[in-house]
Amino acid sequence: MRSLALAALCLTSLVQAQTPPASSAPYRDKQIPREAGFRVFIVPDMEGMASAVDSREIIAGNEGERFKDLTSPDYWDRFRLLLTQEVNATIRGARLAGARSFVVNEGHGGNLFANVLPWELDSSAILVRGFPKPLVMVTGIDSSFGTVMFTGAHANAGSPGVLAHNFAFDSFTVNGKVLNEVGINALIAGELGVSVSLVSGDDVLIAETQRMLPNGFVAIVTKRAVGRNAAITYSPVKVRRMLQTGAAEAVRRERRGDFKPFTLERPYRIEFTLRHSYPDSLIRGVATLPEFKLEKTGDRAYRYVTDSARQMGWLLDAIEELVIR
Amino acid sequence: MSRLILVAVLILPLPLRAQARPAADTMPRDTTPPAAYFGVTEYQLARQKLELDMQRGGFSVYIIADMEGLAGAVRNATEMRPVSRGGSPQHERFRQELTDEINSVIAGARTAGATQFIVNEGHGGTLFRNVLVDQLDPEAILIRGYPKPIVMSTGMNPMVDAMMIVGAHANAGSLGIISHNFAFDYFAINEKVLNEAGIAAFIGGEMGVPMALASGDDVLVAETREMLGPLETVTVKTAFSRSAAAVMPPATVHRQLRQAAARAVRRVKAGELRPLSMEKPYRVRFCLRKSFSEDTWVTETVGRIKGIDLDARRGCFGYTSESAEAVGNLLNEIEWTVLKP
Repeated sequence: MRSLALAALCLTSLVQAQTPPASSAPYRDKQIPREAGFRVFIVPDMEGMASAVDSREIIAGNEGERFKDLTSPDYWDRFRLLLTQEVNATIRGARLAGARSFVVNEGHGGNLFANVLPWELDSSAILVRGFPKPLVMVTGIDSSFGTVMFTGAHANAGSPGVLAHNFAFDSFTVNGKVLNEVGINALIAGELGVSVSLVSGDDVLIAETQRMLPNGFVAIVTKRAVGRNAAITYSPVKVRRMLQTGAAEAVRRERRGDFKPFTLERPYRIEFTLRHSYPDSLIRGVATLPEFKLEKTGDRAYRYVTDSARQMGWLLDAIEELVIR
Repeated sequence: MSRLILVAVLILPLPLRAQARPAADTMPRDTTPPAAYFGVTEYQLARQKLELDMQRGGFSVYIIADMEGLAGAVRNATEMRPVSRGGSPQHERFRQELTDEINSVIAGARTAGATQFIVNEGHGGTLFRNVLVDQLDPEAILIRGYPKPIVMSTGMNPMVDAMMIVGAHANAGSLGIISHNFAFDYFAINEKVLNEAGIAAFIGGEMGVPMALASGDDVLVAETREMLGPLETVTVKTAFSRSAAAVMPPATVHRQLRQAAARAVRRVKAGELRPLSMEKPYRVRFCLRKSFSEDTWVTETVGRIKGIDLDARRGCFGYTSESAEAVGNLLNEIEWTVLKP
C-alpha cells in the first residue's frame, strides 16, 4: 500500500488518476509550432489500416471499463508498429514530392489516442497524441497546412465496412448531407482552406467517401471488406508501397491546385443520433452540455446549428470526453 | 483556557484516529535529536558523502531527472509508472527516453568544458530508479532509490557549479502536461510562487548554484523563465490538455538538449546565469492539495511540524526559516506525512 502511496510523491494524486480527464477547452487557441516548407497534416486511424479486422488488434484495454477485455498482444506488439510504418510510408512519399513539414495527429482512440510509436515515427514529424484534445482528430490544424491526408480510415456507422463506425453516433448529417469521420474532419479543414488529397481504408470507406467528397483525392484501398470483422487484405508491405506512391502523387497534385477544400453552406445544420448501443449513463451529459445548446429532436437525436466548423469540432470533443471513460 | 488547549494541541501528540495510518514506519529515519531543524541530520549525511566524490576544480553539473516533461510523454497513469505500481509497460520506453535525454545533456555540457556529472533521480515512477543504469553515461554519478533526503536535491552542495532539470512539469494549477507540485496546490516563498524546478533552484541558490537549464512542455518553460529569469530551456512539447500534446521528435529534442546544455555551461562560466537568491528570513507559504487538506489527520500532523504556523484557511500553512536546507527538509517531512497512508 505504501508503494502505491509513494507514487503520489511526484505524480498527480491517485484520486486524480480515476476521475475524468480535465477538459481540453482551455487549450483551444493553442497552436502547433510553425515550420517552413509545404506542410502536410496526416490523420492516421487504425480500423482501415492494412490487415486490421478485429477490435483486439486496435484497442489497448485501458480506454475505459468497457474496453478492458478488448485487447491482445497483437495491438501492443504488432499493429502499433505497423501503424507507425504506414504513417512513415506516407511521409516518405509526401517528402519525395517536396513536402517538408509533417504533423501527425492521432486519429484513433486506442490507448487514448497514443497508438503511433514516437521513437519509430519519422524523425521530422510533430506528433499530436493523448486525450482529450480540443479538435479531437484535427487538433492543431491551421491555414498554414498545404493538405490533409486521412490514412487507415473506416466506413460510416451502419455501412458494411470493417469495424465501421462514426465517433459516438449512429448517424451524423450536416445540412442533410451524410458525413463519415473523414467528412466531418474534412469540413473543419476545409473551412481553413485545407483540402483532402489522400484517403486510405477499405473499399467501402473509399466508395462512400468519394461520393461525399468528390474532389478527386488519391484513394488507396487497403483491403476489401467481407463483413464487419473480415476482409481480403493486402500485405502491409504492399500497402506501404501504395501509400508512399499515393502520397507523392497527392502532394504533386495538391501543389498544382487539383483539390478543392470541402465546404458546405453556412450556417451548418448539424443533426446527429447518439449510438443506441450506449447505456444511458454514458450519454446522460450530452443533453445538458453547458456550452452547446442542443435541440432534442427525438430519442437520442439532437440538432445543433453553428456558423463554425471549429465549433462543431469542439462539440465533438465535448461528447468524446463524456463517452470515452 | 483555550490558549492552553491550543498549546497542548501543538505540543502533545494527538491520539491516532480511527481511519489513521499504520504505526510502523519502516523508512530509515535518523533518531538522534534534530540539531536545529527537522531531518537536517540525514540531509547533511547525504551531502557529506557526495562531497567526498566532488571534484575540486573542474566544472560540476547536477542534473535532476524527472519524467512528466520528457519528449513524447502525455499520460500519467500509463507512462509514468511501471506495471508493478499500477502503471503499464509503456513506462519502460520512457525510462529509456529519460536516460537518452540525460545523456544528451551530459554530452552537451561536456563539449563546453563540464568535467563532472551528478544525476539525481527526481521521479517516483519505478521508485526513483528510473534511469537505465547500464545506458547512462559511464562518468555520471547516479543518486537513486527511496527514501532519500530532500528527494529532488539529494546531496546538493556548494561545490556544484550548475544545476539542470530534465523532464520537468508545470506547476499545480497550470495548464501543462501532468502539472503538479509535490503535495501542494500552492507554494510560495516571500510571495514568489515556485514550481518544483523553482524549489530546487531555491535550494541550490542559497549555496550559490544557478539553475541553468530546464526542459519540459511549453507551459513549464514559460513559467520557469518567469520565475528564474532567462535560463536555458528546451520546449519538448506543446500541451493541448493535461494529457495531450503536440510532441516534438525525440531526436530533435536530444539535439536541442545537447546544444542548450553546452550554452548553459558557457553562460554560467561567463557569470551570466545567477543563483536564485531570496531575502531571509524565508517566509514559506503553502497549501496542501485538496485531497490532502480535507484529511484532518494530515493537516494536524503537518501542523505539528516544528516551526509550522497554522493558517486561518484550512490546509494552508506558514513556515519561516533562515535556511533553504531547512525548507527542503520541511518538504521532505510533508511528503512523508501525506504519503504515510
